Amino acid sequence: MSENQAPSSWEPKIVAIVCNWCTYAGADLAGISRIQYPPNVRIIRVPCTGRINPFYVVKALQAGADGVLVSGCHPGECHYLTGNLSARRKFATLKRFLSYIGVEGDRTMFTWVSASEGERFSQVIKGVTEAVRALGPARNLVKQL
Amino acid sequence: MDHELHTSEEIKTVENVEKKLREEAKLLLAEKKVDVLVGYEAGTLPMTATPCFITAPEEADRLVWNAFCVQNLAKFVQDLISLHRQSQQRVKPEARTRKVVGVVARGCTTRSLVIQLQERQFNRDDIFVVGVPCGGYVDKCKVAARVAGQEIREASLVGDQLSVKTAGEAKTLPLGEILADNCLTCRFNNPVISDLMIGSPAPAMAPESEYAGVEAHEKLSLAERWSYFEKEMAKCIRCNACRQVCPSCYCPVCFAEQSQPQWVGISEDETDTQVFQIMRLYHMVGRCVDCGSCVAVCPMGVDLRTFLKKLDKDVFELFGNRAGSSLEDLPPLSQFKEDDREDFIYDPQKAK
Repeated sequence: MSENQAPSSWEPKIVAIVCNWCTYAGADLAGISRIQYPPNVRIIRVPCTGRINPFYVVKALQAGADGVLVSGCHPGECHYLTGNLSARRKFATLKRFLSYIGVEGDRTMFTWVSASEGERFSQVIKGVTEAVRALGPARNLVKQL
Repeated sequence: MDHELHTSEEIKTVENVEKKLREEAKLLLAEKKVDVLVGYEAGTLPMTATPCFITAPEEADRLVWNAFCVQNLAKFVQDLISLHRQSQQRVKPEARTRKVVGVVARGCTTRSLVIQLQERQFNRDDIFVVGVPCGGYVDKCKVAARVAGQEIREASLVGDQLSVKTAGEAKTLPLGEILADNCLTCRFNNPVISDLMIGSPAPAMAPESEYAGVEAHEKLSLAERWSYFEKEMAKCIRCNACRQVCPSCYCPVCFAEQSQPQWVGISEDETDTQVFQIMRLYHMVGRCVDCGSCVAVCPMGVDLRTFLKKLDKDVFELFGNRAGSSLEDLPPLSQFKEDDREDFIYDPQKAK
């Protein structure tokens, strides 16, 4: 994307795909508790991490996201009982595969944040933003047209 | 059957299997145990064998079995059965017919059939598996490299030697040097399921080095890996031949052609091709049997195997699953364990 071309004013753009029941509620809690976190993150709410097609991650990278974060309920706490456990298998292979073809490992992050972990949500966003900032603007796989 | 022939000399084994295959095919069709038998027949060009569909006992003599049989026939089994099922949808229940598809299947073909069975594409009694032992197939690119790319006019297999004639020269190549890469390190060269096994089991290949290429690739730096991926995918012309030939690619509507949402852009931008390939490759998690059909049909010679094999390796490392190796097992992404590995999960505490 065009703003990626100017390194001086560059800010990482992170797409966070989060589940409705835990991480989104966790983000909500961070908001109502006035916990600060970087504004670099764009949150997309989905019903469950198990609903996330791994292509969403690839597609977000192609559309110019510098990093993609996927976050859901801790294992065993899924609203749909096992959605996040299926997701865990998908993302374990996806992360390895993307890093194998040459997309930096830190551009795709997976984590768990529960509804009561507003503080953890803010730490995750801070951590991911810093990791992506260290990598610089995404070049690989970004559609230029 | 003359048992010594199976064990004593390789040459007689392969020819014997072919002879036995024809006999059995005739019987199966005459006894109406199968309605159609999917097998290989001699191709029109030297060094080729084409898939064929045998429906009458007298046609069974067309069948061949040799090291030129490349394509994974499980693709056609799924095609035939799903077409037949569609054709039965508008037929009154009492008038519906059943169709049993027989298939000449080597190890990788049976693994693909197992995957399709696991994914409930058809029932076990819809197919009749005629298992054949496999010693690997000839990689045409390797032969072409040995004759400096000249057109091959004639080719014949004698024992474990391939004799080829081009316009200028005649050459004899040992099979061991021209087998496809996936065959050389094949772990399942004998059928994992079969209703009828022809010939005795083939000797093992060298599966211990099956991930050698992947391990070497993993050691490269990130930039090198990306430039390799970029270079390989730049060759791709998106003819979709790899998808058409893959027995695990049977979706009625492929994501590549979906327009709502449009997963894959149709522009000339190289990332559209890369994303198409990433998505198609990623669809093969726990579903790729390394039959090499996609590599064999690729007109541009894209190195798909390096990437597919990585998925296979990861699935085995993480979940201990080998695609299509057992009918009882579920596909790795259709199941989970509570203690699946979590080392890739980001933890803000540890990251500091």
